[in-house]
Amino acid sequence: MSREVSFDPEDEEFFGSVGSFGVPKFDDAMRGGVPRGFMMIGFTDTGSGAELFGKQFTSPAEESDNTMYVSTNESKAEISRIFTKYDWPQDIRVRTLGEEYNSKVLEKELLASRYRLEGFKLPDIQRLAQTRFVEDNTQDFLTEMTNEVMSMGPYFRGVIDSLDFFIQRDDQTRVISMLRMMQAHTQMYRGLLLLMISRDAIDAATKQEMAAIADMVLEFKVRGIGSEFETSMIVSKFRNAPENLAVMVYRVTAEEGVTPETVERIV
Amino acid sequence: MDEILRGGIPYGSTVLVAGTCGSGKTTLGMEFLVRGATSGEACAHFTATEPSVKLLENIRQYSFFDMKMIDSGLINVFDMDVLYSWLGLEKASFDLQDVYALIKAIVDIVNTIGVTRLVIDSVTTLCYKIKSEQLIRDFLFTLGKKLATLGCTTLLIAEITSATENAHWSSFGVEEAIADGIIVMGDVERMGHLLRYLQVVKMRGTQHSRAKYAIELTPLGVMLTPMLKWGALNDRAGSWGA
Repeated sequence: MSREVSFDPEDEEFFGSVGSFGVPKFDDAMRGGVPRGFMMIGFTDTGSGAELFGKQFTSPAEESDNTMYVSTNESKAEISRIFTKYDWPQDIRVRTLGEEYNSKVLEKELLASRYRLEGFKLPDIQRLAQTRFVEDNTQDFLTEMTNEVMSMGPYFRGVIDSLDFFIQRDDQTRVISMLRMMQAHTQMYRGLLLLMISRDAIDAATKQEMAAIADMVLEFKVRGIGSEFETSMIVSKFRNAPENLAVMVYRVTAEEGVTPETVERIV
Repeated sequence: MDEILRGGIPYGSTVLVAGTCGSGKTTLGMEFLVRGATSGEACAHFTATEPSVKLLENIRQYSFFDMKMIDSGLINVFDMDVLYSWLGLEKASFDLQDVYALIKAIVDIVNTIGVTRLVIDSVTTLCYKIKSEQLIRDFLFTLGKKLATLGCTTLLIAEITSATENAHWSSFGVEEAIADGIIVMGDVERMGHLLRYLQVVKMRGTQHSRAKYAIELTPLGVMLTPMLKWGALNDRAGSWGA
């Protein structure tokens, strides 16, 4: 059963048919920005600046409470430091699943290792003898992340950095199913969703499937040229606008973050 | 039981209590602990077959049992699922390191609180997670040896499907080899009734009776009566009539 979402004409006018990437030169190259309702997937190389691009993507934050940044690697403090450095809005919704995983799962594993190595002390034994039920520490981070996206309202903006975390812990077919749900939600609510994943975290078939679901595919690459590194982004898929496919060489500056230098159209 | 064993179970023994479903193994084990706690001994019960909540609820009906023994810490009931969780052993099968972690945990508990009477109910459920027979043997042998060193008398409860003369007294075939004693519990049909019985097959260091005894699980505890030789269907077919 399909749901219908009604949009206020004033909102339509305010938000427009496209949203900014948070990188003006990139908006220009993409003829205005990213169409609303697009779910984008970024396949990334380590050191390509994709993490920064993800944060920068949240910076337009049309509605801060409807803008979300989910990180699976960084702490809230690290994220806050970057947002402060570039003066990007900090009142957006930030969720750090990596931190949550560390505190809920790794902490328990650490305690188990301690018990295994050092043994039980008397207070531990007394507590063990009084514990009648196993504490349910199982947390389905993939479902939580999906629910987080599905809870976003019309014209939302969201970034998940990165899907590697889920691919490493969940069945890949489950991750793909969740992507489909998020894509449908993004489309229905005219949101903008950017998902990052390391190129090496998945096999070719999974990458192909993810690319097929996404409305836009970005590939963040880094290569060494002499003693320098060149970072580039390839827009390899742009649904219904293949004329936007491009290769962009970009640099990261302390003032503007990710800044395209050259744009080359893929003909 | 003390009469059958001509005095009781020798201190520090590891005794396999092998029985069929519903034969009274858990009740016997719990009464063993209660009698110890009554005389001031520290006791421990590891329950793997049923949740500790359910075990305590079921055992409450016996008048020999008093919840105060649990509350005062004389009888410590440990839920194996909780212990597994604490040790990070929530997995389908245990490897060598897991087995040694489990032994260490049990021995730690026995040593720290000075447990002199221990029941593991059941060793079958516990060993089910250990896939190799060699590892099961190592586990039971090492555990038994360490507990004996600590002077702890242990009842290892084992579930068996049949208690006939051709049956093994253990599910994995190794428990009986490492035990100092074997007590078998089962059912025998007599005049249309299923009677529970108990028989001490082996008890190192004792001149025990090897006769079968009928068991009655009364509110006061396990009651044993010598079984009469006549009347048992199994007795006519086999050679186990006592």
